Amino acid sequence: MLSMKSISKVFKTDLVETHALRDFNLEVKEGEFVAVTGPSGSGKTTFLNIAGLLEGFTHGDYFLDGVNISNLSDNKSAAIRNEKIGFIFQGFNLIPDLNLAENIEVPLRYRGFNAKERKRRVQHALEQVGLAARMKHLPSQLSGGQQQRVAIARALAGEPRFLLADEPTGNLDSMMARQVMELLEDINKAGTTIIMVTHDPELARRAQRNIQIVDGQVCDFTMYQGGGYQGAEKPHLVAGAASGLDKSSDDSKQTQRVAS
Amino acid sequence: MLHIKPIINTLMRSKSGPILLLIQIILSVAIVANASFIIGERLALMDRESGTVEEEVFDFRLYAFDSSIDIESQSLRDMRAIRELPGVIDATTTSMVPLSGGGWSSGYTIGSSEKTAKDTESAAIYYGDDHMVNTFGVDLIEGRNFYETEILTGSPDLATHAIVSKAFAKATWGDESAIGQIMYAGDWGDKPLQVIGVVDKLQGAWVNSSYLDNSVILNVRLVNVFTKVLVRAEVGTLAQLKEAIPAVLHKDQPNRVIEGFTLISEHRKRVYRNHELMATVLSMMVILLLLITSLGLAGMVMFNIERRTKQIGTRRALGAKRRDIISLFLVENYIICIVGGIIGGLVAVQLGQQLMTLYSLPKLELIYPIVTIAGLMVLTTIAVILPARKAASISPATATRSV
Repeated sequence: MLSMKSISKVFKTDLVETHALRDFNLEVKEGEFVAVTGPSGSGKTTFLNIAGLLEGFTHGDYFLDGVNISNLSDNKSAAIRNEKIGFIFQGFNLIPDLNLAENIEVPLRYRGFNAKERKRRVQHALEQVGLAARMKHLPSQLSGGQQQRVAIARALAGEPRFLLADEPTGNLDSMMARQVMELLEDINKAGTTIIMVTHDPELARRAQRNIQIVDGQVCDFTMYQGGGYQGAEKPHLVAGAASGLDKSSDDSKQTQRVAS
Repeated sequence: MLHIKPIINTLMRSKSGPILLLIQIILSVAIVANASFIIGERLALMDRESGTVEEEVFDFRLYAFDSSIDIESQSLRDMRAIRELPGVIDATTTSMVPLSGGGWSSGYTIGSSEKTAKDTESAAIYYGDDHMVNTFGVDLIEGRNFYETEILTGSPDLATHAIVSKAFAKATWGDESAIGQIMYAGDWGDKPLQVIGVVDKLQGAWVNSSYLDNSVILNVRLVNVFTKVLVRAEVGTLAQLKEAIPAVLHKDQPNRVIEGFTLISEHRKRVYRNHELMATVLSMMVILLLLITSLGLAGMVMFNIERRTKQIGTRRALGAKRRDIISLFLVENYIICIVGGIIGGLVAVQLGQQLMTLYSLPKLELIYPIVTIAGLMVLTTIAVILPARKAASISPATATRSV
C-alpha cells in the first residue's frame, strides 16, 4: 500500500547540508498498524511529512496504492491528501473559530461533497468517536482528549486509505491517551491502515509493528502481534530496510520479534 | 469552493478585527461617495462650455484719458486697424467678457399685452456690433446676424435688435421660435427689442449664476472713455498681438492706456480656481481614504496570516489547494467589504441628505455609492490578493510543526 524506496531528504542552507532521511526504505501493507519511534531529530517528522505528502523529498521513489507520487503537482498532492490520507496531529490542529461539525466538514468541503453528504459523514464520524451530541460546540469547550477525538473524527470522515498520526497522545494525560489509543486500535481493526509516530514506548508496543528511525534511517523494526509487548528489552540497531511482514521475515539483517 | 457559511461563522465568532475593518469601510464608503459626488459636480461645472472659441478670443481694456479724442470715430478706426493685423480673425467692442466675473445683466418683459406681460429670466447683456458673433465664434443656429446698418452707437437705451442664446430663447418662449419675438427692456411696451437671431451657446460672466447660459447680444456700440475690446486671433498669436495692438493703436492716438490681454480660457481658469481647488483637495482625500482602507485590509489579512499560519498549514494538509486558501481570504474580506459597502452606502445617502439641507448641495446620485462599493471590491481584491498568495504558499508541513 505504501512503499518508500531509497528516499532521501536533504535540507540545504548556505552553510550546512542536513540529511534528514537517507536511503530510507519502508513497506507498509494494507491494514497494518505501524508505530514509528526514534530520538528527537532522527527524522520521524520528516518521514511523516513525506508519507503524508506534506513535503517533497530529494531522491527516491514513493508509491502509494501502486501510484508513483514522486513528482506530483501541488494540486494533485492536495487531492491525494484529501482523499486517501487522514491526519491526526499532536496539537489536534482544530480550527478554533469553527465548531466541531464545521471542523470535520473542512476536508469534506475541499473534496466537493454536497451539504447532505457532508452532514451524513460528520454525524457518522462524530458517532464513531462518541461526540455526536456536541457537534455545535467549539473546540475550546472540550477537553484535550475530546479535541483529539474530534481530530480523529475529522480524519475518519473522509474515509481515508490510511491514517497518519503524529504523536496523537503527546498532549494528553495517561487516561486520555489510553482512550485515544483504544480508539485508534478500533479504527485499525475496522480495516484502516495506521502509521503512528510516537515517543511513547508503551504506545508503540501496542502497534503491530515498530519502526525505529535513527539518523534518518530505519535502524530496527520490531514486530508484535495482538497488541501486547512481546520483544526483547533492548532493541538491536541494524541499518537497512524495514519492509512488510513477509519480506522482513526473510531478511537476516533485521531483528524480528514475533509473538507466539 | 467558496465556503461562505463557515467563513461568516468564523467572522461572527471573532468579531473585533472585522468590526474595526467594517467601521473603516462604512466611513470610507460614506465619505468617498459624497466626496466623489461633489468632485463630479465641480468637474461638471468646470466642463461647461462658454460657447466661444476660448483659446482664440482675448480681451483688453482701453482708456482714452485725453478728452479731446472723438471716441466714436476713434473706436471705429481702432477696430479696423486691429482687424487688419496679421493673425487677427475679427474684433469688436463689448460691454463684458464671458466668464470674467463682471458685466451687465437684466431681465426683460414679454407678452402680447400689458395684462399678459411677464418677466423673463435674467440674462447677461452683451452690447456689440455685427462683428460680435464672429469674434466670439458662437454658432448662429436660427435667424441672422446684425446688419452693419443696424448697429447704433451711443448709450445702451438705443438697442432695437437682439440675438439671444438658445437657453434664453427656450426659457422665454419654450418650443416656439424666438425669431421675430418682441421683448421689452423696461415695462411692457417700453424699449422694445426684436429678436433676430439665436446662437447655440453663449455664457455670461458669472459661473455660479443659475442663468449662466442666458445671454442677449444687443445692437449697440457703446461709446465711453473706457472701452473693452474683444479680439479673436489665431491660436498662438497672443504674444505678438500684445505688442502689435498697442503699437498700432498708439500710432494713431498715443494718449491711451492699453492693458489686459487675457484669453477667455484664462478667465475660465481664474473663475473656476476655487472649484478646481475643492476638487483637488477632495480627490486627495478620496485617494488617502482609499489608501488607508486598502492598507487596513492588507494589514488585517497579513495579521490573520501570521495568526493563522498553523491553521493554513492544517487546511493545506487536509486537502486545501492554493486557490482554496486565496479564496478563503478573498471571500472573508469580500463579505466584510459588501456588508460595509451596503451600510456605508446607506450612511452616504443620509450624509448626502444632511449636506443637501445644510449646504444646498444637489441630491447625492445613487450611482456614486454603487460605484464606490464596486471600486472598493476591486481595491479589496488588490489589497488581499498579494498577502493571500503568500498565505497560499505556506507549506502543509507547517501542520506538523510544534510552533
